[in-house]
Amino acid sequence: MPQARTTNARDLAFVPGTELVFGPQAARRRQVSDTIARVSRGWGFTDIILPSFDDRRTFEGGDAHDADLYRFMDREGRWLTLRADFTLIAAKALAVELRREPRTIRASYEGRVFRFQPSGHGARVEQSQRGLEWVNAPGTTFDAATLCIAGECLSALGLHDAVLVVGHAAFIGAALGEKGRGDRALLEALDHKNPARIHELAKRRGLDATRTELLARLPGLCGGPEVIALARTIAPEPEAAAALDELEALARTLRESVASLNVLYDLGEVRQFSYYSGMMFKVYHHGVGEELGGGGRYDRLFDRYGLDVPAIGFGFDLARLTEALPRTEVHGAASVASATAGQGAQGLKSLLEARGRGEQAILAGGA
Amino acid sequence: MLRIALPTGRILKDAERFLAAAGLPPAENLSQTRKLMVPSQCGRVEYLLVKPVDSPLYVEQGVAELGVSGKDVLMELAPDILEPLDLGFARCRMVVAGRPEIRRSLDNTLSPVRVATKYPRVARLHFEKSGVPSVILKLSGSVEIGAVLGLSHYIVDIVETGTTLRENGLVVHEEVAQCSARLVVNRAAFYSHLSEIGAILDAFKSALEKAHA
Repeated sequence: MPQARTTNARDLAFVPGTELVFGPQAARRRQVSDTIARVSRGWGFTDIILPSFDDRRTFEGGDAHDADLYRFMDREGRWLTLRADFTLIAAKALAVELRREPRTIRASYEGRVFRFQPSGHGARVEQSQRGLEWVNAPGTTFDAATLCIAGECLSALGLHDAVLVVGHAAFIGAALGEKGRGDRALLEALDHKNPARIHELAKRRGLDATRTELLARLPGLCGGPEVIALARTIAPEPEAAAALDELEALARTLRESVASLNVLYDLGEVRQFSYYSGMMFKVYHHGVGEELGGGGRYDRLFDRYGLDVPAIGFGFDLARLTEALPRTEVHGAASVASATAGQGAQGLKSLLEARGRGEQAILAGGA
Repeated sequence: MLRIALPTGRILKDAERFLAAAGLPPAENLSQTRKLMVPSQCGRVEYLLVKPVDSPLYVEQGVAELGVSGKDVLMELAPDILEPLDLGFARCRMVVAGRPEIRRSLDNTLSPVRVATKYPRVARLHFEKSGVPSVILKLSGSVEIGAVLGLSHYIVDIVETGTTLRENGLVVHEEVAQCSARLVVNRAAFYSHLSEIGAILDAFKSALEKAHA
């Protein structure tokens, strides 16, 4: 075996939060990704391979703050940004396709996104995702089907008790009203289900008593389909009512199609991505503290490319999905042939024959 | 059984009283036990006794489904957890303090102000928001000395009665935030145990209402 040369320990350190996965954990990750890919193919999705970096403008409107993007300059003086979001860069790529020929597109992707996070608390600056984009997919049936595909992925992985938490971007928008929309602090308070902070901010922003009360009640609007009816009583505005109609139609479609999904409705659910326009969801499992993935409808996203195209999609966080899986052994190939380098051509020949029979071939060092 | 992370230290006694009022008293006196995990008398929940600064982390990572944490710690760590209830006890203020004359002496200077604190993130964000360039010096305790002996122009710290500041010749220049103990909940646990956590939230809310009645 080669001897390790003496080296400075610092030379072996990686940037905190970057991904390094090897051995059984990598095999489990591969299984997770393959399972989602198989389900996606089963629903007619085909792979799309997207650039790892692009112009900064591509990533505007995602959930990454400007300061959290990884930027660099190439030798021609162009400022470029590492991929911070798949949906945004997929939209740009698919806009090119759609200009050529308007059609329904089913695209599935896998890769990494990069967003700065301060070190500590398990921050991850690099995240592997697998997901899909369904373009020219308007209305409730596509909403329901998207949830069903996400649900099938989770079932196929054995995560039967994962929960899909469904909310609606337009409902939150209506509840926030003109003054509250785009208010990051208020969105953050809603995201943390923090009524005390909501009251404090509403007072500071001069929101009226009815709106303040509505916002403070949002964190409690979580449960079965009955919370949609409850929301109607406290948010009667037409924009909110239209969003609730959509959620009711979604709940009905899921019921009538006998979809066996573990769905909760959370009308206080906030996603910081400003591109969501309709139904949106997050996926949770009790085995992992943070969300395993999420997605939703973004009917206005293609506007920036001069296209009126309704679309929907979701992405899973592969590291967290892998973490949620039961700790089962990853089985290698059934038959394994081995030879050593010392056996020379004869050893190699036996391995080539083994490969011809579809067996796993292991060439080891030594005699 | 749901786990609730409780911070040891100054909050613990109040937390214990609050849990009793909410019908979830611990099976042992938390302030005296050397155990790190203690069940409630009813057996519905288990309490984890952890350092105040670690409580949000246990909840964020899902080791405990719920937790009690001071707002000051939450502001500093900014964990990705839910914060559905202000428990009302352990009230204090996060303030910028310093010698009385310090503000005037800094009026015409463009150099960054030096700030000593146990809360570097809170301090940095506060001075950034005010448009004041600052150099943050992280201390682990007795931050008042920083301002008294000229290590820093200001300190950012929590103040209950203000006695320590007064006794060291310091005054409050600005209030950053009002702090108190908060109930925090892990996101995944909130949805996976919606009804059990809902029941605990209801019990805590009625204890709060009773306390205010």
